[in-house]
Amino acid sequence: MEQSQQAETMADPQDMDAGKSPPGWRILLTEVLRDKVALFSLLLVVSIMMIVYLVPLFLSQEEIVRVDLFAIHEPPSSEFWLGTDYGGRDVFGQLIIGTRNSLTVGIGVTAVSGMIGIILGVVAGYFGNTVDNIIMRIVDFFFVLPTLLIVIVFIVIVPQYTVWSFIFIMSMFLWMGIARIIRSKALRERELDYIKASRTLGSSHLKIIFTQLMPNLSSIIIVTMTLNLAANIGIESGLSFLGFGFPEETPSLGTLISYATNPTTLEERWWIWVPASILILVLMLSINNVGQALRRAADAKQRRG
Amino acid sequence: MSLLTVNNLKVHYPIRGGILRRKIDVVRAVDGITMELERGETYGLVGESGSGKSTSGRAIIGLESPTAGEVTFEGQKLNQLKRQDRREYYKDIQMVFQDPYSSLNPKKRVNDIIAEPIRNFEKRTKDDERRRIQELLELVGLSPESMHKYPHEFSGGQKQRLGVARALALQPKLIIADEPVSALDVSVQAQVLNFMKEIQRELDLTYIFISHDLGVVRHMCNRIGIMYNGRFVEEGSAEDVYDNPQHIYTKRLVAAIPDIDPANRKHQTDFRREVKKEYDNKKAEFFDEHGGVFDLKQVSSTHYAALP
Repeated sequence: MEQSQQAETMADPQDMDAGKSPPGWRILLTEVLRDKVALFSLLLVVSIMMIVYLVPLFLSQEEIVRVDLFAIHEPPSSEFWLGTDYGGRDVFGQLIIGTRNSLTVGIGVTAVSGMIGIILGVVAGYFGNTVDNIIMRIVDFFFVLPTLLIVIVFIVIVPQYTVWSFIFIMSMFLWMGIARIIRSKALRERELDYIKASRTLGSSHLKIIFTQLMPNLSSIIIVTMTLNLAANIGIESGLSFLGFGFPEETPSLGTLISYATNPTTLEERWWIWVPASILILVLMLSINNVGQALRRAADAKQRRG
Repeated sequence: MSLLTVNNLKVHYPIRGGILRRKIDVVRAVDGITMELERGETYGLVGESGSGKSTSGRAIIGLESPTAGEVTFEGQKLNQLKRQDRREYYKDIQMVFQDPYSSLNPKKRVNDIIAEPIRNFEKRTKDDERRRIQELLELVGLSPESMHKYPHEFSGGQKQRLGVARALALQPKLIIADEPVSALDVSVQAQVLNFMKEIQRELDLTYIFISHDLGVVRHMCNRIGIMYNGRFVEEGSAEDVYDNPQHIYTKRLVAAIPDIDPANRKHQTDFRREVKKEYDNKKAEFFDEHGGVFDLKQVSSTHYAALP
């Protein structure tokens, strides 16, 4: 490793940038590459994502969710790779589209709740005092709300219920944890002299937040978001399983698994629910593995690379 | 006209308590200090920990908002300015921080760190900016190539030099150095201090030098203010304070300066005991009934002391 680095440096001595030390993202990458389990998990997640986002371009959702009474509960065959469900719908197609929907929800919820959480957390942490007090009381208020109940009521009363409205309502109740983590870290950072130095050097608050504070929060943001992604995929599936997720026209991993509430399906028609269950397990574990590797990378003491 | 005048500056922190968290008392971190700085001189602020010397420095540059009093820089009252106008004065007043480890952003490369003030106040082209950074690095004795490194790749002394380079980037008139060497080991201390004296001559800088190390202050400063409990106990030229201390607190402080010659050890120990005895005996005379410091009285044309 060292030799190859030296060779690189020697290859272009003219280049002023050759002596640069590795930037932060390179450290994250190295850590993931060093950890074979995390690397494997990352590749797995990326390939699953590629498949579920690319294949549906050639499959139509309507085609797959159309009820076909002549093909009910077919076991896996060359025509239906993973058999069919009680409506004669292709399970494999539902699995692909369902994974896509679940992932979209997971990513969407993570992005939206992350945005809210990061903005409020950073503002609360950076300004402190009264601002912090107000924002944290809002956070406390959201924490005591019965999230699940409100989500279920929302789902029942909203007429046009799509992936986007689902992302919106879930995000409304999932940003508080992120806000708290970011705030506590920001509170610690703002006491350090480099933030004060920045003020004496004439930078505005906004500039300090974006150019000084945020880079120092980046690692914790990446780690939190990755670990949250895994959890958020699970939340969608959980709700769908309870019957408050997506309707059957919009397949998701949760709807597939919820077919297993029927005892005959659970016992005899494994092809409907086992693949979805395995997929969700694999996805969550893999994303978690990557998240753990990133967390180690963010903390120099635990780093392996 | 003097460069900087500080008039009756106070910084009080509220102590909140009770159910409604009302203000029940105040901590008088800085309680009415007055000082005047001429261009080119070095003013030493000395005192034990908690005496308010750092807070004074921070209040002068605007990191703390003063409870009362005014700071006048080149005839302009700083704390009456709006935030936006005040920003212009950051150009002329800069600060070197105590801890070189936390005062440089660990995620930024040296060129970004030093370029920050330049980008804020001066419009320069990329090449011009790069040249200026290399110039500054050379000025503080670091190689121009170090502009691509991160702060953690430097030693403590080198980091403090980076802090000085950043403070010099805008060619300020006044630099507030808040214990610039107390985090460094002794060999590096001398290096940084001599370097600061050198650039002072070169660039005609004025320093406010905050320290608890009397030896260092004597080496650096023309005038010295001794602080105790947020007030000045004694103020005067270095000779006044070191050779002719008037207040018993100053006497004790000066007596505590270590002497390098072992032959004097016995003599020094006796002298310290004597001063301590005098301090204990006369404590009631030199401080008021609450342990507070009296107002300064003129002793000679340059020398003031808080005598009863």
